[in-house]
Amino acid sequence: MNRRYCQAVLATLLLLAVNQAAGELDRLNDQDLSEVSGQGGIYLSGDISINEMGGPIENSYFGRCDDPDKKCGARLAYRLKEGGGWMVLDEIKGDFAFEGLTLRVRSIDSGFGGDGEQFNGDVMEIGLPDTVRFNDVRFRIAGSNTFRPTDPGFQQTDIFAVEMQGEVIMEGNLLVFPTGNP
Amino acid sequence: MKLTPNLHYRAKRVPGIVGTSFVLSVLLAAGMANAELEDLSENELSEIDGAGIGVVLEDFKFSHGTDVPDADGNQARIFKIGGLRSTDGRDVEIVVNHLYISGNGSNYGQNLSPVNLGRLVNPYRIDVVDGNNIGIRDKAVLEFAAPALVDVTQGYDCMNSGALAGSGVCSSRPATADFMGERPDVGMQMNVAVGDDRSANINIHAKSAVIDGSYLRLWGDDDRRQMVGQFKLNFHTPELSINACSQDGLSCGSRITMTNFALELAIGNQLQPVFFDVDGTGNFVVEVAAIDKPAPGAIGADGLRGSSNAETWDFYEDYYTNPDYRSNLHIGNFSVGDRDFGSARVEGMLIQHLDIRTRDLAP
Repeated sequence: MNRRYCQAVLATLLLLAVNQAAGELDRLNDQDLSEVSGQGGIYLSGDISINEMGGPIENSYFGRCDDPDKKCGARLAYRLKEGGGWMVLDEIKGDFAFEGLTLRVRSIDSGFGGDGEQFNGDVMEIGLPDTVRFNDVRFRIAGSNTFRPTDPGFQQTDIFAVEMQGEVIMEGNLLVFPTGNP
Repeated sequence: MKLTPNLHYRAKRVPGIVGTSFVLSVLLAAGMANAELEDLSENELSEIDGAGIGVVLEDFKFSHGTDVPDADGNQARIFKIGGLRSTDGRDVEIVVNHLYISGNGSNYGQNLSPVNLGRLVNPYRIDVVDGNNIGIRDKAVLEFAAPALVDVTQGYDCMNSGALAGSGVCSSRPATADFMGERPDVGMQMNVAVGDDRSANINIHAKSAVIDGSYLRLWGDDDRRQMVGQFKLNFHTPELSINACSQDGLSCGSRITMTNFALELAIGNQLQPVFFDVDGTGNFVVEVAAIDKPAPGAIGADGLRGSSNAETWDFYEDYYTNPDYRSNLHIGNFSVGDRDFGSARVEGMLIQHLDIRTRDLAP
């Protein structure tokens, strides 16, 4: 008996609460709505490694980076002509680390030497991390006659190779927005 | 054969109420926005254009280089460009000692400060444009463009680092006392090593550089089934200097200074685009095809329009007179140390045929 009584009270309370909540929902008028905005943003720290060591295993079966028959690093090939050769970004490897890349939507209506007022709109702001740490980042740009280095008749001419190591200073904000008349 | 890239990515997101409140406000906004939707009239719709992406770098500063090795031979920072070879087969390695993009007044990269690149009202753009609007018929053209040139009444002189509004066609503004402007100082100090010879240390610096009006356009050619392009570089700087220093950078030779340096380089145009290819031996090929000769009799003996096929004549008239197809180089004053060699101008260069092919020097 006592238990039933409790259930009834609980049910009544719930109903009341629901009613109460419904009573609190109000439509926002245009004025109020204009003050609502998505706030905050995203803060990222990252560590991206692209085939830095050639994977978890290095042995005679799976291969080693110094094995001439095997290759380490990613390869990106782009064909410039039907039936022609390939432009390649080859042996991409290394490790980038950054702390404090931010991403947010920013409303600009001032600054920029007077441009802000004229622009008066929203942009996506990518806050660059002040430094990016490169750990033995390498890639080479080359021309190749086959897509894969293991294809028959493979020939490749390296145009140049880049190697980067250490802290790169990269400060500022990258602002991205639509242009034209959207 | 191990090609699969290993991608590790760790991201941290600042937790909090941000997410929830954002979802709520979006929901509320969605309800309200419904009532605000209205049909567009035909007239309004015809004004709509495919929008591209504008990119502006605000308070930007970039610097990287190679450090002098410490006592153990370790280097904290390395930036090298290698894989090159001299004609006699020796390896060429470019050690970049310092590459920088900085605000005005950097004193050849010594004092780095922030700068804006591109303006909100005239940004760098990545866009797919209608080829019919830029003279490339019935093609969608991928365009990477620097800020566009503007009317002389609104722009700034491209060269003068103290230019005021209404003095020229460049949109990027020079730095003033209270605004950093959009014209960066850029420079590169490098050591070019040919084999074991590390004697060449070359530094290039440009002050208050402007590349407004430059672009790279890429599209596909149906007949040759190939990627083609058009490249225009407008580079203006009040001072471009080159000097050579000893390897430790302490003693430098005379500085070659080119004041009021303007390069307007046009590689490829609507009539003669640049073709890119890699040949069967893996060598990179850049080609500008020669323009076709007119059919016999299409151009009259006196060369005038009246005695020629009008359409053919107009085509060649445009080819020879259009300033957009031509490259120019202006140097206000060329000096080495304290000796002045005066000004130099190369104007109206038209590339009629170009065929560049890389060659593998490896044995």
